[in-house]
Amino acid sequence: MIRFERHKLANGMRVLVHRDEGTPMVTVNILYDAGSRDEYPGSTGFAHLFEHLMFGGTTAVPVFDIPVMMAGGENNAFTSNDITNYFITLPANNLETALWLEADRMRGLDLNEERLSNQKSVVTEEFRQRYLNQPYGDLMLLLRPLAYQVHPYRWPAIGMDISHIEKADLASARRFYDRYYNPSNAILSIAGRVNPDDMFALAEKWFGNIPGGTTDSRSLPAEPLQDKRRELTVYRQVPAAHLLMAYHTGPRSSRDFYILDLMTDILAGCDSARFPSLLVRQKELFSDADIYLSGDADPGLVIFSGRLRDGTDIRMAEEAVTAELNRIIEESVTPAELDKARNRYESHRLMSYLSAANKAFNIAYHEVLGDAEGINTEKEQYMSVTAGEITEASRKTFRTENSNIIHYLPEQR
Amino acid sequence: MKDKVIHNVPGIITPSAGDTSLPGMVKLGNGVPVYLVGNGTVDLLRVEFNFRAGQIMEDVHLAASTANAMLTEGTLNHDAASINDLIDSTGAALNHLADKDTAGLITVTLARKLDEVMALAAEVLFSPSFPENEFRMLTDRRVQAFRTGRQRTSVIAREAFYEALCGSDNPYGRITTESDYRSLTTTDLRQFHERHYQPGNMYITVAGREPEQALPVLERYFGHAGSNEWVQPEFPSLFFESSQPGMIFREVASPVQSTVRMGWKGITRTHPDYQALQVATMILGGYFGSRLMRNIREDKGYTYGIHAVAGAFRDIGYITLMTDVANEYRDAALNEIRKEIESLMHHEAGEDEMTLVRNHMMGEIARMFDGPFSVAEAMKGVIDYEAGADYYTRLAETVRTITPSTIRKIFQSYFSPDETYIIIAGTK
Repeated sequence: MIRFERHKLANGMRVLVHRDEGTPMVTVNILYDAGSRDEYPGSTGFAHLFEHLMFGGTTAVPVFDIPVMMAGGENNAFTSNDITNYFITLPANNLETALWLEADRMRGLDLNEERLSNQKSVVTEEFRQRYLNQPYGDLMLLLRPLAYQVHPYRWPAIGMDISHIEKADLASARRFYDRYYNPSNAILSIAGRVNPDDMFALAEKWFGNIPGGTTDSRSLPAEPLQDKRRELTVYRQVPAAHLLMAYHTGPRSSRDFYILDLMTDILAGCDSARFPSLLVRQKELFSDADIYLSGDADPGLVIFSGRLRDGTDIRMAEEAVTAELNRIIEESVTPAELDKARNRYESHRLMSYLSAANKAFNIAYHEVLGDAEGINTEKEQYMSVTAGEITEASRKTFRTENSNIIHYLPEQR
Repeated sequence: MKDKVIHNVPGIITPSAGDTSLPGMVKLGNGVPVYLVGNGTVDLLRVEFNFRAGQIMEDVHLAASTANAMLTEGTLNHDAASINDLIDSTGAALNHLADKDTAGLITVTLARKLDEVMALAAEVLFSPSFPENEFRMLTDRRVQAFRTGRQRTSVIAREAFYEALCGSDNPYGRITTESDYRSLTTTDLRQFHERHYQPGNMYITVAGREPEQALPVLERYFGHAGSNEWVQPEFPSLFFESSQPGMIFREVASPVQSTVRMGWKGITRTHPDYQALQVATMILGGYFGSRLMRNIREDKGYTYGIHAVAGAFRDIGYITLMTDVANEYRDAALNEIRKEIESLMHHEAGEDEMTLVRNHMMGEIARMFDGPFSVAEAMKGVIDYEAGADYYTRLAETVRTITPSTIRKIFQSYFSPDETYIIIAGTK
């Protein structure tokens, strides 16, 4: 049980505080409800580029990182399809430095051409390093536009193409900042050896007089129901073939998320799970075989991802995976499998409690999904999953006409 | 338009490293040392089994890491499938640890499953069966992963550096080829295991809430005496046949970026300059405020990241920096890196920068001691390399008191241009 207290400032900013006695550090986490799904199709990757600009400084703080380091802290951020999240972990007695810094860059970020041009270059190198210069690095760049036709999940958070990042301009950056980087669009969560009432007072002091901003809810085009199998074959300079199979499923807040998350653990969560033991060891078709949920806020994907052994025909590999997916529909999972998945969930949950930073983020993340209390109620969601529910959710999901298949093959030499 | 700042800037309290003492140690009946790291807040225990069974001990290349990977591929009592099933059913994580100098297992388990998990850990550590079929499959998987690594510029550049620094005839510098995987046999693994995975060759670290609760369980599964005939193998005396410093180019069919790595011979953990070298490397490229990060990334935008580190294996130290850059920025990046090192050799760092790096490192040390699992990790290097119980206390003291002139001397002593290895992995 993660206890926390909440408070809402008059400008709409939500503040959540978790007291953790076990650490001399405190984490100040600020989550903005803005991600790559809020971008325009011609300028993808913008939310992530903007995250870089948030470290560009203000009139008061020319270099964001310097006061953080002076205070003995560390800070970072990440952007997903749904959100942008910033955090600073520092000694508890320097907590106010973190609040000052976050309020300062929410209030008056210095957006200028030089900074924009420099960070466009850094992000371009990030794109190359993580997605283009790695064997198999572009798998997600290929999958998203195959699986989605209209919803902005059709591009990844890094962006669809480097050219979009090169085109980004200052006027768009200002619009994005004014629209999303406001108290009413932000969730502040603090975890550490702190007193909630003191934190609410400090939040009021630092953020209370920043204008709230608009909160028109987003209306994104819903992805139409897929009615036909989609398949893409690409050739790359890689040593072995890779198979991706993705199926549409429900949103993060649906019951199906928990059911399928537990199901993917039974299929591939550990060495003794079905895929590693059957597809990798017994049949020797794959060198690794995984299945996981994208976990997006809007309806997401269940993704099978497997590297083929030398000599495995990719059609045969696909048939073997499909047979296993059908088996989970036709025969229910065993009580022992369910029991194992629950034990594993319980220890993973506790492992995630080891870090105050992780707790701070998860509280904010559940809040943006609908209610921070989700961090506690999800245990019951997982523990109550039945074999019948797994069969039912699998039947709904693993249909041929709902599948998006990528055959990623080694170039013929 | 949003209004301007109205509050005064909060004052910063100079960070301190906090308590950096080594945890207490007790011994099992057979003399196995057990370090106990307490003050956990959740009902999980992290138990690490650490053996003198790293790469340094191998007679046959890859024997150490492969023997370690094979521990969970079947035991005298259970085949691979059932041993994995038994472990996974407890919910525990059981991670392989295979380093240059040590190897073992790290388990993280619910406190209430400790007994079961320790029984399984003892079984895989002391009675693995090294079955042929599992070995063949593991080899195939490792060969495939190895081939993928051949396409990564970062992997190629790292390998080239350690070969240049340590010599190709040395366990730290040896270049792996596919035939090394293919020529290894289960006999090699059995021999390696029998020689090195013995109670007399291990220590245990338990971290979490009330770690003492693990002692009776550990006594039961790990307190037994080892074989009478076993004699603890000595660490070999390594010979380092370093190649001449200079430029090394490795061709990799890589379309967009090259890895640039620079390196120098460093010092081991017990050397009196080791702590000062940590601070110097931090200033150069160890944190976001470093010279290299500010110049190459934040000013020039040549790269997503650039990092420098000074570390040490048992018998040799190294200093190295690395970055992935677009091919067209490669020469410009190299020039800027050289300039930053020259500057640190010839000019003393200013007080602002000194304060920044001191505070940053104090915060970093404090975070290393935040929670028992972190402490257990931080302590590993100190125990393995006998760096002294006061290692972190001395580091914190150096961070607090080191002078700009000492930093400059460190750069003059350890970063000489004539002693620099420059490795580029990419296309011509």
